[in-house]
Amino acid sequence: MSADVKRAPIRPDWWRKTFAGAVLGATLAFALAGLFAWVGPGGISPPDKSQFVMWSIAPVWMTVLGFVWLFRTGTQALLWLGGANLLAWGLLLFVRG
Amino acid sequence: MKIRSDILRIYQAVHTWGGICAGMLLFIGFFGGALTMFKAPLERWVSAPLLPVQQLAPGQVDKVVAGVLAAYPAAREEFTLHVARQEHTPAPVSWQAGESGHELDFGLVRWQATLGADGELAVRQEQPSLLAELIDMLHRTGGIPGTLGEEYLGIYVMGVAGVLYFLALVSGVILLLPTLVKDFFALRPGKNRKRFWLDAHNILGIASLPFHIVISLTVVVFAFHDQFYDSLRAVVYRDQPMFTPPPIHGALGDASKLLPASQLVERVQRQAPGFEVTELLYMGVESPRPIVRAAVASPRHVVQGAETGFVILQPYTGEILNTSMLPGQGNTWSTLVAPFFALHFGSYGGDTVRWLYFVFGLAGAALFYTGNLLWVEKRRKNQLRQQPLPAQPRKTVLIGAATVGVCLGSVAGTGATLVAAKWLHAFGAHANDAYLTVYYTVFLACVGWGFLRGAARAGAELLRACALVALAIPVTSVIGAAVPALGMWAHTSPATLGVDATAFVMAGLFWWCAARAARRAATGPADSIWSHQPAQAVPAEPASRVGT
Repeated sequence: MSADVKRAPIRPDWWRKTFAGAVLGATLAFALAGLFAWVGPGGISPPDKSQFVMWSIAPVWMTVLGFVWLFRTGTQALLWLGGANLLAWGLLLFVRG
Repeated sequence: MKIRSDILRIYQAVHTWGGICAGMLLFIGFFGGALTMFKAPLERWVSAPLLPVQQLAPGQVDKVVAGVLAAYPAAREEFTLHVARQEHTPAPVSWQAGESGHELDFGLVRWQATLGADGELAVRQEQPSLLAELIDMLHRTGGIPGTLGEEYLGIYVMGVAGVLYFLALVSGVILLLPTLVKDFFALRPGKNRKRFWLDAHNILGIASLPFHIVISLTVVVFAFHDQFYDSLRAVVYRDQPMFTPPPIHGALGDASKLLPASQLVERVQRQAPGFEVTELLYMGVESPRPIVRAAVASPRHVVQGAETGFVILQPYTGEILNTSMLPGQGNTWSTLVAPFFALHFGSYGGDTVRWLYFVFGLAGAALFYTGNLLWVEKRRKNQLRQQPLPAQPRKTVLIGAATVGVCLGSVAGTGATLVAAKWLHAFGAHANDAYLTVYYTVFLACVGWGFLRGAARAGAELLRACALVALAIPVTSVIGAAVPALGMWAHTSPATLGVDATAFVMAGLFWWCAARAARRAATGPADSIWSHQPAQAVPAEPASRVGT
């Protein structure tokens, strides 16, 4: 517990964190859904898989948004989620061809 | 479990803001949703007995289908064959004018076809009651009027409320974690009202947490699935097909060559043993893609629709085209998707789960109601020893009045439309046009009453109004049965009697709540928005009122 006490408290940074969770969380969820669509089981073509892919967006997005305020600062939230987006979108563009 | 205070502080703010912004809208959604669990019984209850439920042999039904298709071109676009016939679907064949779209059509005209006493085709035109549809719409939009693009505006607003609801769930659990073991299932009545309401709020929330997580996520998806699909098409799928259309069957489109309906039913029955085939929806029988969507019900399966699963087949050959919505016979992906729908609709265990969801729905409404009570309670100004009664903060006075007016207003408004449905019919008026007027008049009157009289008085008064409206539902049915000359009716099937019985029980519940609320207002601690006692200079026993 003593380590916790020394650490600076988490800053709310409402605008930045909420933006990171709501917008970057959504784009990240789309990229992950897209990756699952292309390289997940069965590839892009199985019938009805697109429905599952669509359903996977909201849980990922909401989970990111729900826990985004745990980042130490708003800037960190933006950087981490921005980085994750770059990685996921880069991969998606690569596998989508 | 220990959680750092800075995290708790942040999530307390998330919980408070999410809850207070979405709470009342979600109350309406949950109350409407609980009623929607029994949409079919409501539909049956409200359908005037213009035609007795028809008992026809399969051969006679085939004759009706052939007669309708020969004489009514509109039916060739789309018609429904009712295999299971009940009060709201008494005839074997029905169809309606125009296409069924996203929006409700209040002028909707429907035709019902059966065989007359002479054995010839008998067709009657009617305007079916949209009451159950409207309650469903109230559930989905919260009663917010207007459209945005091709969708109701309220659906998007409810989607945003679903996001806030999910955030409130996450933050609520984080807030409760440090004291979960101590607080869970501890309901501490007694002097500390805030403690009692917090305990009640926690029990409601934790006991039905999985249900709430499922509902919040599905609400977000149901609200925004068009946008999700469009975005996926734009950035993920692009020229890859996302859906497979039914195969083209070309030059078969002569409606007189359709297979007899009894054979199609038999074909579906063979495909779905253990299911009851309830209806066949024929679509585009003269188009290049003629299909029949057969609805199949079973309480023992997880079905994707609100009440049934589906089998798609070809009406000329009887070939089964698609079983992805038939439990146990879908592919991997449709089998994975079906539970998302079923968990929202409660369509996975017949009436048992329906009643469970009804209770969960009302408990959810109570969760939001108690949340608002806590918000008010937290901002309450206590009376100090030997001091005059303090004025309560203006925002708590307003939120209290709004909570009472909006929540109870939606309850009273919904009940009033049920009562109005039969009385309007008695006076020869067409109810569909009047439902919205009745609902919004009662709803807005209750909201106005809440602000006019204040939360303390309006709480008890509006609860009494809810009780009276609910009582009027079975009373109207009794009057309808006792005095048939009035032009009202009372069905006697168990499902429709259940509507009357449930309304009767709820009337008693509201009356009990009203009595409690009135007692609280009259004799409870005066330093609260829930008291209507006149301000005294210095109360006689100030000590006993401190700290409540």
